[in-house]
Formats: sequence, structure tokens, C-alpha cells
Amino acid sequence: MSSSTLLAVSEISKTFPGVKALDNVTFDVLAGEVHGLVGENGAGKSTLMAVASGALRADEGTVTIDGEVMSGDPERARALGIAIVRQEPALMPDLTVAENLYLGVREGARPAIGDLSRWSAQVLCRWNENITVKPSDRVDTLNPEQRFIVEIVKALAGEPKVLILDEPTEHLAAEDMERLFARIKDVTARNAAVVYISHRIREVQLVADRLTVLRDGQSQGTYSARSLSEDAIIHLIVGTDLEREFPEKETVFEGEVFSVRELAGKGFNSVTLSLRRGEILGLAGISDNGQHEFIRALAGLNKIKSGDVLVDGRAVRVTSPIAAMGNGISYLPGDRHREGIFADLTCRENFSSRSAWKDTYSMVVNTGHETNRTAQAIRQFAIKTPSTETPIASLSGGNQQKLALASVLASDPTVLLVDEPTQGVDVGARAEIYKILRENAKKGMAIIVMSSDAAEIAGLCDRVVVFSRGSVVKTLSGDEVVENAITGAALKSTSVRTRSERMASGFWRWAAGDAAPLVMIGLAILLMGAVAASQNEFYLSMRNISGMLVLVGTLALAAYAQQILLLVGGIDLSIGPAMGLVQVVGSFYLVQDAGLEVHAMGWVFMLAAALSIGVLNWLLVEPFKLHPMIATLATFMGVQAVSLILRPAPDGSIDGEILSLIGERFGGIPLTFVTAVLVGFVLEFILFRHRLGFTFRGLGSRQEAARVAGIVPAKTRLVAYLGCSLLAFMAAVAMIEQVGIGDPRAGLNYTLGSIAAVVIGGTSLFGGRGSFIGALLGAIFIIQVNTVTTFLGLDQAWQSYLLGTMIIIAVSLYSKSRQMAVAA
Amino acid sequence: MSDVLANQAVPTSAESGVAKMKGRLSTGEFGWIWIATSALFGISAIVAPGTVRFTSIVAMLPFAAMLAIVAIGQTIVIQQRGLDLSSAGLMSLSGILVAQLGFSTGSIFLAVVLTLIVCAICGAVNGLLIARLNIMPIVATLATNALLLGAIQTLSGGSPMTVPKALEDFSHERLFGVPYTLFLSLVFVAFAAFVSTRTLIGRQFIAVGANQRSARAAGIGVLRYQVGTYAAAALCFAVAGMLYAGFIGSASQVAGNDYLLPGIAAVVVGGTPFTGGRGSVIASGVAAIFMTQLGMMVLALGAGTAFQLLVQAGVIVLATTIRHIPGLLRVPR
Repeated sequence: MSSSTLLAVSEISKTFPGVKALDNVTFDVLAGEVHGLVGENGAGKSTLMAVASGALRADEGTVTIDGEVMSGDPERARALGIAIVRQEPALMPDLTVAENLYLGVREGARPAIGDLSRWSAQVLCRWNENITVKPSDRVDTLNPEQRFIVEIVKALAGEPKVLILDEPTEHLAAEDMERLFARIKDVTARNAAVVYISHRIREVQLVADRLTVLRDGQSQGTYSARSLSEDAIIHLIVGTDLEREFPEKETVFEGEVFSVRELAGKGFNSVTLSLRRGEILGLAGISDNGQHEFIRALAGLNKIKSGDVLVDGRAVRVTSPIAAMGNGISYLPGDRHREGIFADLTCRENFSSRSAWKDTYSMVVNTGHETNRTAQAIRQFAIKTPSTETPIASLSGGNQQKLALASVLASDPTVLLVDEPTQGVDVGARAEIYKILRENAKKGMAIIVMSSDAAEIAGLCDRVVVFSRGSVVKTLSGDEVVENAITGAALKSTSVRTRSERMASGFWRWAAGDAAPLVMIGLAILLMGAVAASQNEFYLSMRNISGMLVLVGTLALAAYAQQILLLVGGIDLSIGPAMGLVQVVGSFYLVQDAGLEVHAMGWVFMLAAALSIGVLNWLLVEPFKLHPMIATLATFMGVQAVSLILRPAPDGSIDGEILSLIGERFGGIPLTFVTAVLVGFVLEFILFRHRLGFTFRGLGSRQEAARVAGIVPAKTRLVAYLGCSLLAFMAAVAMIEQVGIGDPRAGLNYTLGSIAAVVIGGTSLFGGRGSFIGALLGAIFIIQVNTVTTFLGLDQAWQSYLLGTMIIIAVSLYSKSRQMAVAA
Repeated sequence: MSDVLANQAVPTSAESGVAKMKGRLSTGEFGWIWIATSALFGISAIVAPGTVRFTSIVAMLPFAAMLAIVAIGQTIVIQQRGLDLSSAGLMSLSGILVAQLGFSTGSIFLAVVLTLIVCAICGAVNGLLIARLNIMPIVATLATNALLLGAIQTLSGGSPMTVPKALEDFSHERLFGVPYTLFLSLVFVAFAAFVSTRTLIGRQFIAVGANQRSARAAGIGVLRYQVGTYAAAALCFAVAGMLYAGFIGSASQVAGNDYLLPGIAAVVVGGTPFTGGRGSVIASGVAAIFMTQLGMMVLALGAGTAFQLLVQAGVIVLATTIRHIPGLLRVPR
């Protein structure tokens, strides 16, 4: 075995606001070895690997990969041979497995796109011959376990020199764990290295040659994996620091006030426990073992499948947070920013959010009373804030947390659920939070604390239940509640996750796919055509068809323009006026007898007008950070104004020769329609068979994952805005033939028309999903609706009814099917 | 002593946060529209004195008042992270409905009440489509707007309708020389501002808009607020639509189109962000006066409607970027 160093991290320090995440850590990985990295939650393992893989830049120290120094550059780290498997897979949910694999591997390892599905199938098979994941599966339809396998396969596919695995077995069933260990052997056999991060010491001892222990951002040394016993490693992980101040525990409790019997739900099953007044119960265990789902189920945020919840001996149903609070159960969420606070609102509003009824007299909030109550809480809990009117976001993490806790306590719960009481909280505030919890327990409240910090659980709780893989594996009480025992119970647990086999039903899976909107809209178009033709034979006449197709061509091109921006998560309201402006500009140059030179100039100016609108929109959205809707609303008005200034009234007839050129028909089929179809197919090909298309959809799907895959958001959006402008230009040219004169208002209807067409065609306004063929069919559908009503002798109002109903049916069906496929 | 401790305990991240908030507050999140409006009237007095005469202001105010009512509806929707494109259809529909019902029932009061009920139901449908079927607000309201246009076509048969005399009189009525519409819009603004800032409903409404997940976890019924918001917005559009029909003397199928974009523009200029939660109906109301007076001034200066539009676009960009300027200036330090 060679002993050359593949990855050397030396003297790395990294400080986040308020915490020193890494403190002078040195660590190296040799060729051919598996290097274990162990430590508690928050010890700095993930930060260290983020630094090593270039996702984070260290404050001090150097990272050397295979002899070359790298700093804060994920692309370069990947090119140098680092591949990382994250606990939370960095996949783009709207892309297929194959597309994610393609974007995820380093540039040199990518196959030709024509070969992509064969290549993907092959790399997936290398993991498991009978793998159920297909290259064409969309990632959002996979379950967490399958997603994790894709993440591993993605990392392996690039044949990395250093493979970093972050908690790899948390999501895997037993057989896949064995496969993973086999793959690790393959990697080391070709003289590459593996960094194996895990809480589970037994696993690390099994696979690792050497291991490094991290505690509170400091390295506790690197050891040969076999030279240390399990207990010795636990001791290194936990340390002996008991610096934290915990309030004194209680020993005597009154009667039982809360209990659950045989409770089961998503992620946990048959949990039975009870709680007495004044008692603090801890839920411990390695993260993702069901304790989090359990506490959320008690709060009414997760569904309970079976079992009973009793408050004061009374069976209650906690179907929603409202029901839970109504029964005296209040919850302090762990994810403070997303679920615990209202970041933009003031301390006062945050405080009273759970108890505003206390300040309310006949529906009117007494602000004075509310302010007094808030001020009192601020004093009582020593919350450092300039005033009650300060937005909570400007407080430190600890003060935010104390305020959120104060808010929950103000709702006077019988049972208080606290999820991660001190995450992102400075040391001083921690002790105060422990004190507040203990004081409230003394007053008779029953408290359940869930924490991934075993020391916290040990110091704070009277009794502890340890979760593993969804069940309670151990209950500790009295003198047993010490950190070693809790960590030991969690780490030594070897229970195995049962494989989840849920899949959406066939119909919903199909309906959530890319083909479904096309088939459904196609059928609707045929059906409507058939009805119209049966009522009026003139409907199928060439003259009518040809007239319809002219309109379809223009609308389809405008819809493509909209489609491009929706794909990357934007929107363009200015398409209509932009088309109008292009046509108005044209009306000054493309006039009869102006000569070829003037005509050529006209075309250049028209294109320039369109592209400059795109650039302007991009400038407002990217550097100026305006909401795309506001930005393009402003350009909508601005561009329309320019058109109206140039041509206050329709004027400037376009040269007849140009009109007849654009209006060319091949056996009745208009040139513009043919162009629109061709362009649609080319764009569709790019979207699904070219890297640019993957990039667009990936960015719209999940910006963070796209960035990890080396996509630059601002640059990609500029390309999207320019593409949008180019297509709007083409749509305007197609429109010229119908208008024939410089009309400043000609394009206006195309803004909403283009949105309607793409939405009917199956595009998600959330970004990442869409199809140009769908947009084309959407355009055909809209034009057909407008025409059919006349042929059926229906009132003109039916145009609107049909269009509105169709949008609602189509969008709710797509939305529902995507939910069904994802939820499975 | 405690102050010293307090300062020490605040970590660096919070300091920059405090500075950020101070920067925003000193520019006056919703306050600066008052300054801008005063300045605008000052400038008008110099460059176009004709527009600040009592008679011209009284002539301008009904339009500002109607725009303000539309803007209130749009503001509360934007506070819920939405956008209501059906404001156009609802405004037109309410004009047509009140005219028809007014003639068929013979009672303008009954006509108004029925119109409001119908429009509120339409708004609730918007809310349900968005909250229950998970359709993006812009798409849902685009679709309902199409349905409303159909209904307008069916009801009116495609031609404008005259409105009952009583409605026309109300729209033109003045008290001490000031139009009724202005009083009505003041009542609307005051009521909306009171409800959204001083009542339990308003508190929970803002919480849902600010952070839907936190609101749910805090035991607030998210669905009823989302549906209620669109219903309340629909009521605003309906009132504006009826006033407009009365003012013009006839109800047209496209009346609402003139107020769709200006309504959204007024909200943006007033300073209500698209990020949800925070917002000010008062600022939107003042912005409605600002936008209307700006249009009058530009017209009085001899520029056409086109130039007016350009100025409005510029104002939107300015109003939204001006808040970033303190931040941009601070970066190099």
C-alpha cells in the first residue's frame, strides 16, 4: 500500500458568528486508507468536510488535495478528485436520476449525452444488479433512501481520489450497508481514499484503518482504529468537560399528567411513555431516528397513525397544532428560522403570536397591554433587545430563542414540547434557558425536551428515553442519566432500519411525468376539434386551419420565451410590450422602397431592442435584486411607454414583400407555424438532451444543489433572459404579418397569453419543470378555444369559460399529481 | 451596568443585523412615501401650478380614491405573498352586476349588497384554488379572471350598460366640496389599517403572511386567512368597480383593466414588499394619491400618456431600489 497523502488539511480554523466551528484542525488522508472521522453533533465534522471539498472557505489554514492547494472552490476540488456524499443529498428534484448523475460528476468523467441513459444504468447497476432506481426516474419521486443511493452512486461514478461519506448509513437498509462497505473496499483497492464520517463507532471501527476524533471544533488526535476500545473512543468524543451550568434536578414528582400509548406515525412506532408534573423528560438518540418525528406528532404537525395521547387522563386528538394547543400542548420548534419565529416582525408581535387572545378585548388588541406583557417577558427572561418594537431578526440567536420560548410559555401549556432548546445559542443564554425550563417545571409543567446534544439531555432531564430507528431502545432515570450512558445507548444500538417500500400508484406517477401534460392536452385538442368538425364541416377546411395556425405560430413563440424564464424560476411580464416595441421599431425601417440597407438596419435595431429589454430585466433582477414580477412589471410599463412615444397611434405600413415573405404558406401551412414547430423541437431537444437544458432546469429546480454542481446562477439567468428576448423578437416578427403596421398595442395580450399557454402545457411556475412542446400544444389549445366557440355557435363568453376552466383543471391536476408522486 | 452587559452579549452577527435594520428604518420603510408625496405636490406647485388648485385636486381625488381602494385589496394579497390578476375582472363584473341588479331589483342598496356577496364568493374561490389546490396565485387568478370575463360577457351581452341614477349620483356627490369617494376610500384605508394592525385577526393575518410554517406551528388557522384575504380583496375591487361605473355613468366590460397594473404599482411604490407579512395599506393609499398626482403633473407639463407611463415605470424601479442604496453604500466599509 502506498502511503502518499491524498488530502491534507492543516491548521484549519473557521469561525461562524458566535461560534468557533473549527479550531486549528490538522488531519490527513493517505492513499488506500479509510479514515474515520467521529464526534458528536456540532463537533465540526461537516464543517471540516465542507472546507475540504471547497464548499466553505476556511479563515486560516490550508487544504492540499493530491499535492495542490485549494481554497473555497468546489469546482476545482471536484476536478482534483474530491467527491462528497452529503447527509442531505445535493440533488435537483425536478431532474431525472441520469441528469443528476451527469451534472454531479466532474467534467472529465461525464459521458456523451447520447450515451447518458446507458451509462447511468451501468453505474447504477454497479451498485446493485437489481436496483429499483431507473435512470429515467425523477428524483422527487424517490424515497429518501433511494435518493441517498443516487448520491452515493453519483460520487462513485466520478472515480474520485478521495471519497467523503457523511453519515452514510443513516438512510440505508442492511443490505445496502453491505454494498456500501464493498464499494469502499473497491475504492481503497484502486489506491484512492475514503473519509468516513459517522456517529456509530462500531461501524467506524469495522471499516476504518485510522480515525480522528473531533470535539467542539478541536481535534482530539488521530489513532489507529484498532488500537482503541469503543469506550475509549466514546471518552474522547464526550470529553470530561462539565463546564456547563445546569439547574438542580428534582426528585419528587406529583401525579402523571401526560402519557402516550403505543403511538405510531411516520418515522416512529409503538412509543409508550408517561410524564409527571414537574418532570423534564429527554428524548435522545442519533439524529433521524424518529425522535424528531415523534415530538412533532405530539405537537400536531405530523400525522399520528395509531395509539393514544392522554392529557390529565383525558384522551385527546392532536390532529393539528390548533388542537394540540387547545389541549394544553405547546411546541417550541427546533428550526427556529423556518418555523419558530417571524423574522421580519417585531419582538412584540413574535411574543404575542401564541397568546394574543390575552390582550384582546372584543377582537381589538390592546397594544398597551401587549407591550407591557412583552416588556415584562423581556425583563423576566433577560432578553437583550433595544425595544419591544425591534425586529426579532436583529437579535442574537440566544435572545431570539429566549423570546420564542417566552412566547410559547405565554400560551400557558400543561405540557411543553421543546425541540433543540439551545441550537445556535451562545453559552450564556444556554444556562438561562435551562433555568427557565426548570423553573417552569417546578411550577408544575410537564416538559419534553428533544436534543441531539447528549450532554444537554444529561444535565437538564430527570428521565431520558433513547430512540433508535424509530423505537425507544432504552429508558434511563435517576443516577443513570449521565452523558456516557446516553451516548453509549445511542451509539451501541445496532438496530436496523426497515426498508421503506412506498411508491405512488401508477396513474399518479404517470401524471407527474413529463409526457402526461402533452398527452392530456393533445387529447383535449383532438376532442375539441372533433366536436367542432362534427358540428360544422368548415372547421376542418384548409382556410380555417391555416388561419388558426398563423395565430398559433406567434403565440407559441411568445410562449417559448416565457417558458425559458419560468424554467429558471423567473417570469417575464414584459414579453407583450417587448413584442410591440420590436414591431414598432420595425415599422420605421421595413417600409416600402426604403432599400435593402435600411431594411437590414431595421432588422438589427429590432433585434437590439429585444435584447436590450432582456439585459435590462436581468440587471433589475440580478444585480438590483428586484422581485422578477416587480422588475418586469416596471419594464412592461416602460417598454410600452417607449412604444407609445415612438408611435402614438398605429402607423408605418410594413413593406408588402416582407409581409408576404413572413406570410409564406406551404400548401396552406404558414411559414410562421412551421418555424414555431421547428424551434419548439430544437428547444425541447436542448432542454432534455443538452447540458444547457439540464443547467436551466437544475437551476430552477433547486438553486443550492445546482450551485454545488458547478452552475453559476447569475450567468445562467443572463443566458435565459437573452434567450427569452431572442424568442420574443421572433414572435414579434411573426406578429408583423398579422398586424402589418406599427401598432404600439399589438403585443399586449401576449403577456398573459404566453403565461396561460405554458401553464396549460404543464410548466410549473415554481421553476425546474416545463416543456416547449407542451407550450406549443398550450398555444394550439388557446387558439382553438377562441375559434371553436364560433363554429359551435356558442356565445363569445364561452371562450373565456373554456380557457379559465381548462387552466384550473390542468394546473390542479399537475399540482396534485406532483404532490402525490412526491409524497409517496 | 446592565447596558454594558447587554452590549457585550450581542454577537457580531446581530450587530450587522441591527445596522441593517437601522438603515432600513431610517429611510422609512413606509414613511418615505409621505415625504415623496409632499415633495411631489411641492414640485407640482412650481412646475405645474394648475394641478394644485383646489378644483383640479378635487377633480383628481376621485381617481386617486378608487385607485387607493384597489391598492388596499392588492396590498393584503401581496402581504400573503400572492398577486391578484382577477382584480380586473372583479372590478368590471361588479360594475355590470350592480347596474343589472339595480334595474332588476329596483333597490340600489340590495344591488350593492348582492354584488358584494357575489364578488366575495369569487374571491374565496381564488383563495381556495391557491391554498387547497396549491396553484400559484398568479395562475389561479389568471384563470378566474378568464371565467369572470366570460361571466361579464354573458351578463352584459357585450355592450356597456348605463348604471342606476342613484349610483351615479353617489359617485359624484360631494360633501363640503370634497367628493364622497374620497371619504369612502378614507374609511376603507382606516378600517383596513385598523383591522390589520389592531385586531387579533390582523395579527394572525400578518403572521400567516410573514411565515406560513411558523404560523401553523403557533396554532394559527392558515387556510381561513388565505381564503379570507382573497375574499376581502375581492370586496375592495368590487367597491372600486361600482364607484368607477357610477363615476363614468356606465359599466363597461373592460373597466377593470385600467386599474390592474396601477393597483399593483401603487402597492410597490408604497413600499409593501413581495416577501410577505409586512405591509401598509396606508402607504398604498398614499401611493395611490402620489401616482395619480404624478400622472396629472406629467400631463400638465404637456407630455402625453405615454410619457406618463414611462415616469410611472421609473418610479417603480426607483421606489424598489432606493431601499437597497443604504445597503450598497455600506458594503465597501
